[in-house]
Amino acid sequence: MSEPSASAGIDLHAQQVRKFHLQDKLFHYSTLLFAVVVLAALVGILISLAIEAMPSLQAFGPGFLWTNVWSVPDDEYGALAAIYGTVVTSVLALLIAVPISFGIALFLTETCPVWLRRPLGTAIELLAGIPSIVYGIWGLFVFAPLFAEYIQPPLQGLLGDVPVIGGWFSGPPIGVGILAASIVLALMVIPFIASVMRDVFETVPHVLKESAYGVGCTTWEVVRNVVLPYTRVGVIGGIMLGLGRALGETMAVTFVIGNANRINGSLFAPGTSIASTLANEFGEADPGLHIASLFALGLVLFILTFIVLAISRWLISRSMGSEGL
Amino acid sequence: MPDQAMPAGENAALQVRNLNFFYGDFKGLNNVNLDVAQGKVTAFIGPSGCGKSTLLRTFNRMYDLYPGQRAEGQILFHGKNLLDKGQDVNLVRAKIGMVFQKPTPFPMTIYENIAFGVRLYERMSRSAMDDRVEWALNKAALWGEVKDKLQQSGLSLSGGQQQRLCIARAVAVKPEIVLLDEPTSALDPISTAKIEELIAELKSEYTIAIVTHNMQQAARISDYTAFMYLGELVEFNETATIFMRPEKKQTEDYITGRFG
Repeated sequence: MSEPSASAGIDLHAQQVRKFHLQDKLFHYSTLLFAVVVLAALVGILISLAIEAMPSLQAFGPGFLWTNVWSVPDDEYGALAAIYGTVVTSVLALLIAVPISFGIALFLTETCPVWLRRPLGTAIELLAGIPSIVYGIWGLFVFAPLFAEYIQPPLQGLLGDVPVIGGWFSGPPIGVGILAASIVLALMVIPFIASVMRDVFETVPHVLKESAYGVGCTTWEVVRNVVLPYTRVGVIGGIMLGLGRALGETMAVTFVIGNANRINGSLFAPGTSIASTLANEFGEADPGLHIASLFALGLVLFILTFIVLAISRWLISRSMGSEGL
Repeated sequence: MPDQAMPAGENAALQVRNLNFFYGDFKGLNNVNLDVAQGKVTAFIGPSGCGKSTLLRTFNRMYDLYPGQRAEGQILFHGKNLLDKGQDVNLVRAKIGMVFQKPTPFPMTIYENIAFGVRLYERMSRSAMDDRVEWALNKAALWGEVKDKLQQSGLSLSGGQQQRLCIARAVAVKPEIVLLDEPTSALDPISTAKIEELIAELKSEYTIAIVTHNMQQAARISDYTAFMYLGELVEFNETATIFMRPEKKQTEDYITGRFG
């Protein structure tokens, strides 16, 4: 055996380096492939939705969006009632869920005794893990009757005669309806929003909070003036995550919204949402305009969610620009 | 320990008596006694972990934020014990301001960074607030550099400017005592020199307590120096005495660089 010469060593290195390059390229292209698959799936879904919805879009045109008709016997379809139900339940759900989640997150990060922190945090995460069908069953069989008996009548008595908003609380207290769906939705999105808020609140540097305490702030003032501005981006993100989930939530809403394809000014009245209309009608829809209109509804939901995402991106980039964070 | 008291003839802004401090079971400070002189600069030096920052953080009860940390003993401020349970900590912190090692501008405009703390305790008109902001920024020798960009984010300033902004913020609420926790350790030499000049200016109106790792800095800017080691106050005297004729061997070893 002879000693390996210096030039052989260099050759070996060059070989090794070539191998590394090859590995790197392989890695690069395989990750690229995965990313492209996601993009392709997104575009594919969008295109196939559009193709399936085409007969309906051709028959009703853009008026599909603002026509308040959904009649299977007459074969006439408009999305307004479903869009209304979707937007109203989601927005109401957020109005209820955001303050509560904010309180939960604040308590967990700022004022909660240490021994309670973990159990409470875990409980909230467990709440997020409950399947939505369970929320639906609970909503229909437990929550709605209680809601009809103990909450709706006093609410009506209290606010029913107030001008303008009185109408929102009119009608028979039957439990299921827009308001019940909003409350169940709120319960479902609270864990998401609360845990995102908690996580971003925990990213605030201790020393920044100490400085605020150092000028004599109370906990609330620190939260209001330091924690919230510092974490605004994450907070908006958490709220939008909740909104996205609320818009698309199907099972729970189907159970408690009442499934009446019409618009009623009262929040007690049954309504429908895009997702629950799809879930209810796909099974027995006849080929033709009905199926196509359901696909069109799906397309609308897709676009609605996309708009929410775009708005949240825009809000985030705008607030980042103004504070230089 | 009578030798730890200040020389006669000075008013004490803070009187620390038999102070012990605990991080859970660990004793961070052991029976500390000293007076912080009114209108003077008192420096705290010592190796890392000796308790000097811990001591500073008892002066405004900053440790309250963390469960498991507690202090025993007395810190008299205007004759009242700061460590009493009934003491209003927000008021204490408004009277005893603090500046930290790293610049910590709030995520808001330069103007708001100053006005924010003032607004917590005083109601004033817009123009009075403008005056106060200008006054505070002048005190921190920052006005000239930022007067045309008060509406920009505090985070847009350089590190040294940010630190002076933090000093302005502390001064703006008109505290009696300003605590500085290694205020220049994250800054370049020029910014450091500016802050040191600033400290010399501020001491005509405020009592200043400063923790520093830099012994030359302590020698340059302070009137009194406390040397701490392993949670104990080893020696406390006029700065000139500490650096020229330290009484204790440990102090001499530390300031001559033999350990620490």
